[in-house]
Amino acid sequence: MVKVNELVDVAHGVQSKRVFWDQEVYEQELERVFGRCWLFLTHESLIPNFGDFVTAYMGEDKVIVVRQKDGEIKAFLNSCTHRGNQVCHADSGNAKAFTCSYHGWSFGADGSLAALPLEQSAYYGKFDKAGAGLREVAKVDSYRGFVFGCFDAAAPSLPDYLGEMGWYLDTWMDGTGGAELVGPPMKSILRCNWKVPAENFIGDGYHVGWTHAAAIKVLGGPLSGLAGNAEIPFDDAGLQVTSRHGHGFGVIWDGLGLIHDDPAYREYAYANLPALTEKMGPWRAKLYTGHWNAGIFPNCSYLYGTNTFKVWNPRGPNEIEVWTWTLVEKAMSPELKAEVVKQAIHSFGTAGTLESDDGENMETCTWSNRGPQTRKGVMNSQMGQINDGEHPELPGIIGKNFIGETSYRGFYRFWAEMMQAENWDAVRANDATWKDALIKGAAEAKAAERAA
Amino acid sequence: MNAPTLQSFSPVQPDETRPVDLALHHAVSQFYFREARLQNGRQARQWLETMVDADIHYWLPILEDRFAKDPRPQPTPAEPAVYNDSHDDLRKRIERLETGLVWMEDPPSRVRFLVTNIEAYHTAEPDLIGTFCNVHVYRNRRQRDETHHFYGREDVLRRGADGQLRLLRRKIVLDQRVVLDKNLYMFL
Repeated sequence: MVKVNELVDVAHGVQSKRVFWDQEVYEQELERVFGRCWLFLTHESLIPNFGDFVTAYMGEDKVIVVRQKDGEIKAFLNSCTHRGNQVCHADSGNAKAFTCSYHGWSFGADGSLAALPLEQSAYYGKFDKAGAGLREVAKVDSYRGFVFGCFDAAAPSLPDYLGEMGWYLDTWMDGTGGAELVGPPMKSILRCNWKVPAENFIGDGYHVGWTHAAAIKVLGGPLSGLAGNAEIPFDDAGLQVTSRHGHGFGVIWDGLGLIHDDPAYREYAYANLPALTEKMGPWRAKLYTGHWNAGIFPNCSYLYGTNTFKVWNPRGPNEIEVWTWTLVEKAMSPELKAEVVKQAIHSFGTAGTLESDDGENMETCTWSNRGPQTRKGVMNSQMGQINDGEHPELPGIIGKNFIGETSYRGFYRFWAEMMQAENWDAVRANDATWKDALIKGAAEAKAAERAA
Repeated sequence: MNAPTLQSFSPVQPDETRPVDLALHHAVSQFYFREARLQNGRQARQWLETMVDADIHYWLPILEDRFAKDPRPQPTPAEPAVYNDSHDDLRKRIERLETGLVWMEDPPSRVRFLVTNIEAYHTAEPDLIGTFCNVHVYRNRRQRDETHHFYGREDVLRRGADGQLRLLRRKIVLDQRVVLDKNLYMFL
């Protein structure tokens, strides 16, 4: 078993470089993180009718996500119960049955084994089909249309898993009547550990001005001053949030739509603001016109305000498959949806102007650790720690600035907790104390400043 | 399989009964070889200004793996696409490369395009030529990082009053569902 306490120091905000490299860390993640957390699968609007399906990954496990006759959504391991062959090779479609290409076993949309060739002659009519359905994913649920699955029947409900983050997500998942994803997803690969983009999206306002200097400079508009860190808006420009189960984000106020060169998205959002303020209150109204770099633990990330929505599917400790959809609000006109899709893909699609800035960094953050001496070091995520704390009106732990690493620290705090915990009961036992190490770190940083 | 065709985004159809003559086919081939050389040599600005029509539509659709009997139509440019660019969009991509701030291209990648299987046909419009070709692009970066992409192009070239060819429509059919690369920020 991996000694996780040697990998993550929550109070001091540092992580061993081994978290991006070691095979044994990865194997434990597959069991304890991907085997027990809620993982994003699809959006309900992408599989509206009975028999509609998409295929997806849950960690390294392949699954089929299918709309049932009664409207529910189920997910099954994409593996025949006979000899284990993959039963569905399409990305999406509508199917009455999934028939294995090896011996022809055929499974219904509900996962049950409907038919097998030579059932009478070869099995003498005695085969127990009832026990041979596709293995069903223990829990599938959707939060405001966003569908997640979880292999662990003892996990908390999806709303409980999202926890405080649900209050924030409702800003755009519920504020104007709902959000949806536009697909099909683009798919590409990055030769990096899955946590590198996950931590980047969840908390990194710091890299924007530097990594993306070229794209931001060409973009023009209010963001162009960030290029090369020439101007950095700081105090009161935004904040950082982390939560009980590691979900978090950084927000820059009034940043919505600034990556887009058509003002229509901002005009749409600002026109919604009076009604949204009435419905959601002033804080979420302020969040609604912000730009969020955000993550849902473990491997789902999105940029609200640029509207790219991603899953980082792990494929070994140093490769991922990137799946990218576009996030739109249901209430947008078809023309605005199309424009948002185009702009989101132009910036963060497979050939995106900002996407292509990031890949290089993510790969070498991973592969540098091939060197054992390099790997002995630690990585630093202490930025802004001195100001971390609770807020009278906002749930979770709040960092004062959008350029900070509060949500990095929260991500690794929960990662370490899941990697160590025997089961979800052991995680639940920490519900009252999860903030302590993060707050202790902030207090120590303040004390060190006073002593200096 | 209902293979995607030009029809899905352009009313201009190559007339396969009317291949262009030898001289024009030579001009078309030279157009593609010059284009490949400019891209090899990182001369995207020159490519855009001398070889691309102001009304360009440059498109790389997302083609899912679907069952052969799936009745859904092939994607159109109204749907999400990896590239769905106008002249202005392409210009902005090139401006980004010219800022001197693209760290991933410093030191620069090595890129080479091989263009083959060139077919060229007349269309119903006298000044428009419909073409097909296959491309293999190799990108080598950072000592040992190398990727290969194979794709088909379905283009419409416009012959201007000056006799020069310019790229008016490009549909790129990439032969990968999962792009086995970190990005496709290349002019394909």
